[in-house]
Amino acid sequence: MALTGVQIYKFLPKTNCKECGFPTCLSFAMKLAQRATELGACPYVSDEAKSNLEAASRPPVRLVTVGVGEKKIEVGNEVVLFRHEKTFVHPAGLVLRVKDSDADAVAKAKEAAAYSVERVGINMYLDGIAIENDSKDAAKFAKLAADVKAATDVALILMSSDTAAMKAALEKVGEDKPLIYAATADNADAMIELAKKYSCPLAVYGNGLQEVADLTEQAAKAGVEDLVIDPATRGYADSLDALTQIRRLAIKKSFVALGYPVITFPGEGAESIDDEAMLAGMHIAKYASIIVLDNFSPAVAYPLLTARLNIYTDPQKPIQMAAGVYPLGDPKADSVLCVTTNFSLTYFSIAGELENSGYPSHLLVCDTEGLSVLTAWAAGKFDAEKIAKAVKEFKLPDTLSHKKIILPGGVAVLKGDLEDELPDWEILVGPREAMAIGSYLKQNWS
Amino acid sequence: MSKFIATQAITGAHQTIEKADKMYKEALAKHGPDAVIEFKDSRGGPTAFHVPLIYGYTGIIIEKLGDLEKPLELAKSLLPPTPSEHLWVPYLGETLDSGVATLYAEEIIKSIEFVNGTQPEVKGDFTYNGPIDDSQMRGWGIQLVDGRMPGFAAILGCAKSNEVAVKIVRECQSKGLLVFLAGNNNGRSVVDQLREEGVEMGYDTFIVPFGSDTEAIVYALGFATRAALSFGGVDAGDYRRILLYNKFRCFAFALVLGDMGPVDWATGAGAITFGFPAICDTQVPNILPTGVTRYEHVVSMPFDDIPGKDDMERAEKLVDKCVEVRGIKVKIAKVAIPNSFGPAFEGEVVRRANLQAEYGSKAGPAVEMLEMHDINDIEDGKFEVIGPDLDDLKEGDKTYMAIKVDVAGRKMQKDFEPVLERQIHHFVNGAEGVQHQGQRDITWIRISKGAFEKGFRLKHLGDILHANLHNQFGAIVDKVQVTVITDEKKVAEFLEHAKEVYAERDLRLAGITDDSVDTFYSCALCQSFAPTHICVINPERTGLCGAYSWLDCRAAYEINPTGPNQPVPKGKLISQEAGEWEGVNQFVLENSQRAIDRFTLYSVMDAPCTTCGCCECIMMIIPEANGFMVVSRDDYSETPCGLKFTTAMSDVGGGAQNPGMMGHGKRYVTSDKFISAEGGIKRLVWLSKNIKEELAEELKEAAIAAGDPDLIDKIADGTTATTSDELMAFLEEKGHPALTMDPII
Amino acid sequence: MPSVEIPLEKWTGQVHQVTLGAGGRKTVTVGGENTLPYLHFDGTIPNKTAVAIEIQDIAPADWSPTLLKAWGDVVNDPATWAKKAVEYGAEAILLNLKSAHPDEGNTGIAEAKAVTDKILSAVDVPLIVIGTGVADKDNEILPAVSEAARGQRIAIGNCEEKNYRTVVAVCIADGHIAIPSSPVDLNLAKQLNILLTDAGLPIDAILMDPTTGALGYGLEYTYSVMERLRMAGLGGDKLTAMPIINNVGEDAWKQKEAKVAQGLPESWGDMETRGIIWEEQTAISLMQAGSNLVVLRHPQSVAKVGAAITKLMG
Repeated sequence: MALTGVQIYKFLPKTNCKECGFPTCLSFAMKLAQRATELGACPYVSDEAKSNLEAASRPPVRLVTVGVGEKKIEVGNEVVLFRHEKTFVHPAGLVLRVKDSDADAVAKAKEAAAYSVERVGINMYLDGIAIENDSKDAAKFAKLAADVKAATDVALILMSSDTAAMKAALEKVGEDKPLIYAATADNADAMIELAKKYSCPLAVYGNGLQEVADLTEQAAKAGVEDLVIDPATRGYADSLDALTQIRRLAIKKSFVALGYPVITFPGEGAESIDDEAMLAGMHIAKYASIIVLDNFSPAVAYPLLTARLNIYTDPQKPIQMAAGVYPLGDPKADSVLCVTTNFSLTYFSIAGELENSGYPSHLLVCDTEGLSVLTAWAAGKFDAEKIAKAVKEFKLPDTLSHKKIILPGGVAVLKGDLEDELPDWEILVGPREAMAIGSYLKQNWS
Repeated sequence: MSKFIATQAITGAHQTIEKADKMYKEALAKHGPDAVIEFKDSRGGPTAFHVPLIYGYTGIIIEKLGDLEKPLELAKSLLPPTPSEHLWVPYLGETLDSGVATLYAEEIIKSIEFVNGTQPEVKGDFTYNGPIDDSQMRGWGIQLVDGRMPGFAAILGCAKSNEVAVKIVRECQSKGLLVFLAGNNNGRSVVDQLREEGVEMGYDTFIVPFGSDTEAIVYALGFATRAALSFGGVDAGDYRRILLYNKFRCFAFALVLGDMGPVDWATGAGAITFGFPAICDTQVPNILPTGVTRYEHVVSMPFDDIPGKDDMERAEKLVDKCVEVRGIKVKIAKVAIPNSFGPAFEGEVVRRANLQAEYGSKAGPAVEMLEMHDINDIEDGKFEVIGPDLDDLKEGDKTYMAIKVDVAGRKMQKDFEPVLERQIHHFVNGAEGVQHQGQRDITWIRISKGAFEKGFRLKHLGDILHANLHNQFGAIVDKVQVTVITDEKKVAEFLEHAKEVYAERDLRLAGITDDSVDTFYSCALCQSFAPTHICVINPERTGLCGAYSWLDCRAAYEINPTGPNQPVPKGKLISQEAGEWEGVNQFVLENSQRAIDRFTLYSVMDAPCTTCGCCECIMMIIPEANGFMVVSRDDYSETPCGLKFTTAMSDVGGGAQNPGMMGHGKRYVTSDKFISAEGGIKRLVWLSKNIKEELAEELKEAAIAAGDPDLIDKIADGTTATTSDELMAFLEEKGHPALTMDPII
Repeated sequence: MPSVEIPLEKWTGQVHQVTLGAGGRKTVTVGGENTLPYLHFDGTIPNKTAVAIEIQDIAPADWSPTLLKAWGDVVNDPATWAKKAVEYGAEAILLNLKSAHPDEGNTGIAEAKAVTDKILSAVDVPLIVIGTGVADKDNEILPAVSEAARGQRIAIGNCEEKNYRTVVAVCIADGHIAIPSSPVDLNLAKQLNILLTDAGLPIDAILMDPTTGALGYGLEYTYSVMERLRMAGLGGDKLTAMPIINNVGEDAWKQKEAKVAQGLPESWGDMETRGIIWEEQTAISLMQAGSNLVVLRHPQSVAKVGAAITKLMG
């Protein structure tokens, strides 16, 4: 049974010293109860409190960092099995694998690492490059690692079962904290040593969950706790089973030996590029933390990054569009002007309908803190004053040849107020549902 | 149960069965048992449902004459003995059995007539329709069960005059009802009357003449049976479901014109089993509600006694009564005003330059009030204007007005009056060129020149309110009558009356307490983003968003029984102090995706109510002060717990139970039940300034009730303390009671 | 050493099993599982997710060039189109009565009935017919469609609170399946299911449509509502345990990403590939949330998604 904030509070120093980063001991306790911070953040916590708060002191899935700097991959710290329960916290890292037997490896890595695409104001990119020692040649492996490091700024994964090759590569790129892939039953001692020596996160590969758990325990005992696990499942059904079971054990049973992020290789279980993308998509939805792809092209990367963005959106904090005027279907100065809120779903609904309406349009998006039309209106965040301010801020009187603006039908009540705010404008009231905007324009826009 | 009716019905049943029995024997002798029976209408349209009522009721398939043996025996077995003159135990069941037996017999008679070649009936140069065929049944049946057609009227007998007959039929049609005709009085019938007046009958005109005898009305019940078999997914033989289906989905009634004989009564008893009541235009005993039909079973309305200036008005009222007794809801497709109407006009402002007339505000009082009345005292759709209308005013005139809305409804309750009254604002604003503000006696209405030029007059306020109250609140409102008063003296009189009613209402609302009701209501509106959150709303604690009171939820439930507001039976009390009931806990468990198993309504420390994210206020424990703070959504200041409202929301929102923290509506602070488990308002150590100001009066009363009249001054706010240290200093200085109360933790 | 014991999730409820097709047509059965999607170790999954292909009664005016290229001339004749779709692996055909929409030609009862007849005789797989979404219009044409397909157990949609009575009445009368559609909301979905069953529709004659948001266009909302519906249903609530139909193709191919060829950032990549992947990603994601029947538009996605489903069945 998880402790409540008030129960945790009883064990805290109650000094409100703020050194944990929270304003009061109580607010720190509330965050601990949600497993959103660690007990270690309190410098004054007593041993007695520590032992009493064991359960609250460790997130069920360990937070692991791969790489350094701005583009490091942070994964883990997940607290739920289903995104609607709270949120999925750290988006899965998407990584491209290159092989040291491939002459174009550096070029491929460079292209992938340089890729970025923007969506709803968020810049999305691939998170890393995995370098595989396919040649079985330690020098080639180390050289490719060094070359990729030089050519890119993303996190690295070093893939070799040969500890000598791994060591050679770590000598070149170890300071960048690459993920060492992987410790197996055969090489665990040596790999753990390397991870320790270079302070790098370590992946463990085991056939079946028991073998994985044994390996993580061995590593943890040796002091290597930044672990990523690979249960060696490569297909749809077996990987779904393993990923689900690992997350379930971690969250529901606080099973420490499997309380680590999981790495998957959808390309190894796929028959085509589409297939690899679908398997990766399934892994995004179902609990993978690092996904290593074997193919890169923008037409595949963009949908996958979007899928990740969707699944990892906080269900209680909707994605917001940036306020502004969005052109839909190449609008001119005399084209339709509609106004809406910056809740992404609201925006997409109306933008989609406008684009399909045959009427090129300007869509004015007001900052309503991510609330939909009616909710924003009820909360006083979408009123005439705000709309008028946005109309002026985005210079619509200068860029448009008309002065007509279409309000969402749900907020018809704003018409009068908006007439007061924008005295020389004609305020039109559109339909309540986005779906009806096409018909509405046919009848009302001339 | 009237002995008269029971005796009549049972006698009628005996007569009909005897007739059927005799006809059967004769037909058998003449045609043999293999003679084919097929129900067809006058154009030859067939049915796949055999002899439908018998098929539906019993599952017996009749294809040949000999197949009638079985239902005939069944009918006989249902027959009770004729009541004796001297001894009678009135029993509804036996009358209804007689009715069913009669329907069987009537259908048997019609079957034999088909074998004899005398169905559909031909009388002179007129061919009756006979039964409705399957293709027409499908066309109409879909519309009956999906509500596009409100129901059907089965009219038996003959009206007082041809004009009355036509008027009755036209009234039914104007309400969208199908009209089925059968029976006669001394050889004359409504069918004859309509023919004489040149009224076309047939499927195209929605008037179907079944036949000239009473037995022919069984075709209406065969039609209803087939609708249930087709569209209700009911199996033949499952009579119970056929009858229930018709009771709840097929809004039909029998209108019996003229004197009734035993066979009429027996047939009527059969119709009652379908939930179809009978309304008679002669003096007969009434049968009041017992549950077989929705309301009354038999209603007597002797035609000449119906109040009204002439027979036409009496006919209209007769049909109105039928509609009311069957519980038929009439939808009004369009608000009949000369200017446009719709939600798009709600935000319109009528400006001075465009002002035709203004009522209320500085010009004098404008008042609006909605009251419920007995259903017989209200005339639906009656609009009256007392005093000068818009034409009598000069452009731009300002004056006074009273809008008196009188409603009645079988399910209307006194407590719903304010709920409906608040809608007046919303409805009136929907008219193009009409602006409405305020409510009660601070109403303010402006009418634009444009609306006036298009023909808008005060009467149209009646159209607007009538149509919208019916369409949106039809579940509780059956009749709406609107009076617009502009006569100065009468407005003043009405205002006095309205003020009394308002005062009475406020008093009554205050009297509804958690202890005085046995049902609370839920609200699940926010589960879309907070899946495990459920609001339980009690009279002394509004929804945490402040938008839904217990009364609102109750009305919402009556209007939409499958909607987001559901009744929560309190069940057994577990703790008065904490406000915990077994029924509430059970409901919460079942409606929170089984995430939460306990709710206390008056505690913040033990199983407090969850919060979706819409709350007006957040309460948080301040352990060092041994009390709680309440911060409002409109308060952007820092607070002594270190969290602003928005930051605190991320901890409290989302539907998780978080002892020590809770979201709530602002009025909860002044409730008698405010955290009574923790000691009530005396635990309140910090309260947002804006709430202190807004609820100053109520807070003062609550402080007095708590025995500490100066309490409010001892509670800190954003101007006196925004840190824990400042708060403690303030509380010490003022001697706040929480400091010396039992420790919370 | 820590011993791994897999905690099993034993649900008390199961998804209702619904069979499309009767009266000599092929049948497709969906639902019946007593576990979350494809978790074979937790329970039994008697039926896989079915794949249907959407066709329209008129040549689509606003479809992506990628789709039009893939289908070629067959879009000009619904019957030929349907046959081709079956060749491409459609287990059912979804017929969209596009031409009946008041803005798209406003065809009536006769046309709706004729095209239904035509498709029914052209192919032997189950049929799903979707109306215009304009309640009054659907109340007019769907009864005719229903009658034309009497006894063949087609699915008819969509029905909403304002027109469910008509659709339910004809589904009961003619032995079909109704598709209630609710706007991405668990409670509204359940409420509609209550209304449908209260009106006499058997519980195994409902396929529910929670409204499909494509990848990047509300996918996460659909995903979570489906996951919650499924968990509520498995938890024993019979009124949320209906199998789920997702019209993936319609929403995925309507988006700019799948449709627009020019003026896009280079980082979006090849249009044709992107469009197909967009549809496939939407499908695979929603299958993880409980989709029992996915409706697709592109032949390649049908093949690839179909193959993935086979592998998920183990």
